[in-house]
Amino acid sequence: MKVCDFIIIGGGPGGIAAAIKAAQAGVNVTLLDENERLGGQVFRQLEKGFKVADPDALGPDFKEGKELLHQFYSMQDKIRYLNNTLVWGISEDHTLALARNESSSSLGFKHLLVATGAYDRPVPFPGWTLPGVFTAGGAQKLVKSEGVLPGQNILLAGTGPLQLVLADQILKAGGRIEAILEAGNIGKNWLRGLKGIWGNWDFLKEGMRYLRSIQKAGVPLLRSHVILEARGDGHVEEALIAKVDKNWRPRLNTARSVKADSICLGYGLVSSTELAMLAECEHKYDLRQGGYIPRRKANMETSMPGIYAVGDGAGVAGRKVAIEEGCIAGISVASALGSIPRANAREQIKPCRKRLDKINRFRKILDDISLPRKGLYELATDRTVICRCEEVTLGQLKAALADDTIQIKDLKRMTRLGMGPCEGRMCGPFVVEMLRHRPNAPVEDVGCLKPRPSIKPVALGVLAAEKPVENTEA
Amino acid sequence: MSKGERRVYQGVARGQPFEIEVDGEKIVAYEGESIGAALLAAGRRTLRYTNKLEQPRGLYCGIGLCQECRMTINGIPNTQACQTLATPGCRIETQKSFKNRES
Repeated sequence: MKVCDFIIIGGGPGGIAAAIKAAQAGVNVTLLDENERLGGQVFRQLEKGFKVADPDALGPDFKEGKELLHQFYSMQDKIRYLNNTLVWGISEDHTLALARNESSSSLGFKHLLVATGAYDRPVPFPGWTLPGVFTAGGAQKLVKSEGVLPGQNILLAGTGPLQLVLADQILKAGGRIEAILEAGNIGKNWLRGLKGIWGNWDFLKEGMRYLRSIQKAGVPLLRSHVILEARGDGHVEEALIAKVDKNWRPRLNTARSVKADSICLGYGLVSSTELAMLAECEHKYDLRQGGYIPRRKANMETSMPGIYAVGDGAGVAGRKVAIEEGCIAGISVASALGSIPRANAREQIKPCRKRLDKINRFRKILDDISLPRKGLYELATDRTVICRCEEVTLGQLKAALADDTIQIKDLKRMTRLGMGPCEGRMCGPFVVEMLRHRPNAPVEDVGCLKPRPSIKPVALGVLAAEKPVENTEA
Repeated sequence: MSKGERRVYQGVARGQPFEIEVDGEKIVAYEGESIGAALLAAGRRTLRYTNKLEQPRGLYCGIGLCQECRMTINGIPNTQACQTLATPGCRIETQKSFKNRES
């Protein structure tokens, strides 16, 4: 088996930035990405056959991404990049298990960077499994890279700036938005963070631009509002919405129905930590940063020597943070491999760290507004399906919660929670919060749905067809 | 945009259109579209029925994680519609619950 000096998992902003920095320092870099095209979720490129007349309409991140991708491609002779490559396992002896083009292989590494990104935080409520309910990220992919609108009258519900970005994209595509529900109380918290806004004008400008576009289209932006229920016969036809208090608990006397054939949910992101967990990196729980995230040193190294983590998969903070962290990790690995002197690495890292500090001041304001409050975890009723794969309802989970010592792994054993093909990604984040909110249970005993290999479904035929990775081209 | 249309045409250039078959019905898809997007554009939102409760499910996460869009594509069950590109003539079936499957 081949052993690589430096493997990066994930071709989003963090992974690309790390690859560029390390390759510039002379490191042999291998970048593995699951998708056909590089860019991750935020720098997603248009699918083959698609062209847009006005790339600016795709947002500033699209342009920013193009520049970074251009830099990456210009160094392609120094970086080994494998697309359509799923990393489904990591073993203790620094070996990755890969699935690629219907066959499987293994690849060893000396240093590893996990840059696996994040996904929309799943928030169960009655009707959330109806066709026509999308995550904001999924809707964004449809609109941006496939030119298809999620519906004809769209309702957006969630919190934070990402749903404003989606609204702007839907409007530019000529779609109709019934309303945008923001669970947080933007107006009240906004001024408190003036210090953080200082110097972060481009963030502010971007946000104001979205707000203006929404206002111009006459779309109501309802602050302190959540969706209570999605209703319809076989698919979404209407939504029940209500005003919430400061804990995001709905005031039921304000509930009213809104006609909509599709609903996009953007309650912030949770980190994809499956691989970091499989690698046995130590994790901590921080709801603000996306749930369980790996503990890291200043050089982005996890508790496992030689294994690094950056970007939203190591704490949700957006593309700009991912790029800076990626640079730091790339330089640190180059230094650890002896490709650049230590002092040189320190000098290179300094400006990255400075930019990170500035962005993080601004992030804190956004995070304060968007941090999910307790009420969000009380919308599901006993009949609401929590685990979409195994169809476990909240009622079944409650019945299994005999006493306060029950941990999430017990629920898994008793109800099959999290044992389906999504591997607990859609139910785990909710159930952890639900258990943490029990009045008498010690928070540290909640546990998590431990990922198991393969972290995504892989067909037996693929596992059986083992070959060296060099021979897996389609 | 005409009523019922979900594809965005203004400012978007597409590749070649072609036909695909869903539960015996022919619909149009374009090069580069996922099967999930093509079905949504044709107004088909239910992609499978669950095994126990026999509930309809459609595209949800859209990025290959949630596994809700599993369909039978060219005879292979449990294929994610959001991750599979439409190809000329491909045959797609709504995935039924265990009870309602023939084999």
